[in-house]
Amino acid sequence: MKHKSTTVAALTGAAMSLPAFSGTQPAESTLSVSFSQYREADIPKDEVVAGSHERYDIEVGKFRLVTPLGADWSLAVDATRETMSGASPWGTLYGATGEPNLIMSGATISDSRTEVALSSTRYTDNASYTLGVARSEEDDYKATSYRIAGEWDRDNKLSTIALGFSYSSDELSPTEAVLFGRVPEASRRSRSISGSWTQVLGKNAVLQSGISLTKKDGYLDDPYKLRDVRPDERTQWAVSLRYRRFYDNRNAALHLDYRYYDDDWGIDSHTIDLSWHQNLGIGFQLVPRVRIYSQAEASFFEAADDYTLPKNQPQSSDFRLSGYGALSVGLKAIYRIPAWTVSLSVDQYRSDERFGHNKSRYEHPALLDFTLTNLGLEYRF
Amino acid sequence: MRLMCLVLIFLGGCETVKPWERGTLARPEMQLDSDPLETKLREQVYQSKEAASGGNGAAGAGCGCN
Amino acid sequence: MQLRYVRFRAMGCPCEIRFFHRDDAEADRLADICLTEIRRLETKYSRYLPGSVTNRINDAAGRDPVMVDQETSALLDYAQTCFDQSEGLFDITSGVLRHLWHDRLIDTPPLSEFQKWLAVVGWQKVHRTATSIALPLVGMEIDFGGVVKEYAADATLELLSQEGIRDCLVNLGGDIAVLGRLANGQPWEVGITHPELPGQVIACIQVGSGAITTSGGYERFISIGDKKFSHLINPLTGTPADNLQSVTVVAPKAIIAGSICTISMLHKEAEALDFLNGTNLPFLSVDKQGKCHGSLQGE
Repeated sequence: MKHKSTTVAALTGAAMSLPAFSGTQPAESTLSVSFSQYREADIPKDEVVAGSHERYDIEVGKFRLVTPLGADWSLAVDATRETMSGASPWGTLYGATGEPNLIMSGATISDSRTEVALSSTRYTDNASYTLGVARSEEDDYKATSYRIAGEWDRDNKLSTIALGFSYSSDELSPTEAVLFGRVPEASRRSRSISGSWTQVLGKNAVLQSGISLTKKDGYLDDPYKLRDVRPDERTQWAVSLRYRRFYDNRNAALHLDYRYYDDDWGIDSHTIDLSWHQNLGIGFQLVPRVRIYSQAEASFFEAADDYTLPKNQPQSSDFRLSGYGALSVGLKAIYRIPAWTVSLSVDQYRSDERFGHNKSRYEHPALLDFTLTNLGLEYRF
Repeated sequence: MRLMCLVLIFLGGCETVKPWERGTLARPEMQLDSDPLETKLREQVYQSKEAASGGNGAAGAGCGCN
Repeated sequence: MQLRYVRFRAMGCPCEIRFFHRDDAEADRLADICLTEIRRLETKYSRYLPGSVTNRINDAAGRDPVMVDQETSALLDYAQTCFDQSEGLFDITSGVLRHLWHDRLIDTPPLSEFQKWLAVVGWQKVHRTATSIALPLVGMEIDFGGVVKEYAADATLELLSQEGIRDCLVNLGGDIAVLGRLANGQPWEVGITHPELPGQVIACIQVGSGAITTSGGYERFISIGDKKFSHLINPLTGTPADNLQSVTVVAPKAIIAGSICTISMLHKEAEALDFLNGTNLPFLSVDKQGKCHGSLQGE
C-alpha cells in the first residue's frame, strides 16, 4: 500500500495544473478585426501660401488572430491595410504678417500600406518568451522589424517583470525623387530596449511602470519637405506609469497613464491618458476618455525654412518638432457577451500651441486637428 | 518587496491578494490593454503625428507616415 | 441579496447551482456563463459527440498519436496520478469493460470474453508526451467520465469566484463544490441519500469552502440477475466493485474528493477504510452490512 498521507498531496499537486485552478485562461483563440477612419481637419486658407489646404484622410483595416498551439505555445498573426490620401506640408515661410505660412503639396497623394506581423510565445510555469517579426510595405517605404521579449511572474503572479528588445531596418524610396530633387534611396534603423514591472496592489488595483530606450540612426530627415535636415542619430527614452483601479460601489474602473519622454534632439514631452470604464446593464460598457499631450520644440526647429543655412546644418520646420500641446477627447461604447465583443469609438484631437509646456515662438500653421473613428469586433472560440 | 510596498502604500495599499480574490483583476476593464488592436492603431497615429514614442514595449515595423 | 437557484440537467445527471445576487439580470448572466462552461466541458469530453476530444483519441487507437491541448493534458496528468495512487485501480481505460456487463445478463460472462476485453485495458500501456496521447491497441478507449463532472464543478465554482461571488454551491449530480456560507452565516448543508433507502437522508453534512462527493452503486449500477453491482469496474479483474456500498468524502476540490471516493469504492472494504483513514479527510462510508464509518458520522 502506498503511504496514504501523500495521496492527497499528490492529487492536489496534479490538480493544480488544471486550467480552472492555475488562474490562466483556458486555452482559447481570439479573432479580432477593426475598421478605422482618420480625418484631418483642413487648414485655414489664410495659413496656406501654396498647394492644397486639405489634409490627410486614412482608412485602416486591421486583423488579428491569436491561437494556442499545443500545451505550451501560442501564435499571433497580425495584418494591417491602410489607404491614405491627401496633402501634406512641404515647408513654411514667413508670410506678410511675419507669421509662418504653409506650403502644402498639391493635389491628392494616394498611397496604401500593408503590414503583416507574426509572433510566437512559449509558456512555462512562471514565464513566457516571445519572438516576433513584422514587415511593412508601401510605395516609398519598406520596413522589417524583429522583436524578442520575456515575461516573468513572481510572488504567485502578483508581480510581473518584462523585458524586450526590438530592431527595425527601414528603406525609403521617396516618390518623384528626381523631379523634386529628393534623395532617391535612403535607409535608417532603430534599436530599442524596454522593460516594465507590473504589480498587483490589492484586489482592486494594478500598477505598471515602464521604461524604454531607443536609438535611431541613418537617414532621419523627412524627404518630402523642401528643406529638412536632421542629425544622423537620435537617442530617445521614455518612462511611464499605468494605473488601473476598480470601484466596487460604482461598478467601474479608472485608468490613469502618464508618460515622460526625452530625446537628444531637445524634445521632451508629457502625456496623460485618463479614462473611466463604466459598466452599464448586461454586457454594456461606456468609456469616456481624455488625453493631454505637450511637447517642447527640437533644438534645430525653425518656424520658417531658412535656405541661407548650410545644407548640412540641422533644421526643420516640421510641426511635429515644434513646441505645442494637444487635447484629445473621446467616447467608446462596448458590448460584450461570452464569445463576442463589439466596440465603437470616436476621438477628437485638437492641437494648440497654448497647451505646450515649452511653446514655440509662433504657433505652427500645420498643427493638427483630427477625428478618429474606430469599429472593432472580437470573436473568442 | 516591502520597501516597494511602503512606497506604493498611498495608492491604496499593497495587500496580499488570495487566489479567490482575483476576480476583479481579471475583468476586461481592469486589464492594462483590453483592446490590443485599438491600442496599436492609436499608438501608430500618435507616433506619426507627434514627436514622442515608446514608454511601454517596443513598437512594430515603422512606416513613412507623414 | 436573493438566493438564486439554477436547476438543469448536464452530464446525464440533475444539477443545480446556488448563489446569492441582488441583481436579476446579472444573476442570469452568471448562470449563463456557468452553464456555458459546463456545456463546454460536457461537449469537449463527451463519449457520444463525434468531434469530442474523447472520440478523437479513441478513434485513433492502434494508429497515430493525437495532439491534445493544455486542459486535456492536465486532466490526463491527473488521471496518471490517480492511477499511481490507487495502484492501478483508478484507470480511465477501463470503460470498455462495460461491454462485459451489459443489460439482461443472467450470469457472469465467459472467460474468453474477459480475456478479450481485459486485453485492451491498462493505463500503463498508453503512450503520452506533454502534448499528445496514443492508445496502442485497436479497441482501447479512454473515458474522462470519472473526472470531468467533478472538474466541471470545480471550474464552475472558480468562474463564480472570479466573477466576485463569495457564497455559492455547485452540485453536478452529487459532486458538490461550495464557497462561503448561507445568508444567515451558517455553512452550506448537504444531505447524503441513504444507499439502501432512496429518498432518505443518511447524514446531513455542513461544508465550509471545499467540496463533497459521494460514490455509490445506488445511482448508476450494473445488474446481474437480481443482484445490483456498482457501475465501477475493477480494471485488474474485470469485475464490478462489490465492496463498500457508498463513500462520501470532503476535500478542498471536487476532483480530489471524487477520485478518493472512486478509489475507495474499488478497494476491498478493509483496504478502503485504511485508505480513507490515511487521507485524513472527513468521510462517511457505508459497508455491505449497512455499517457506517468515518468522521462524518453523527454530523
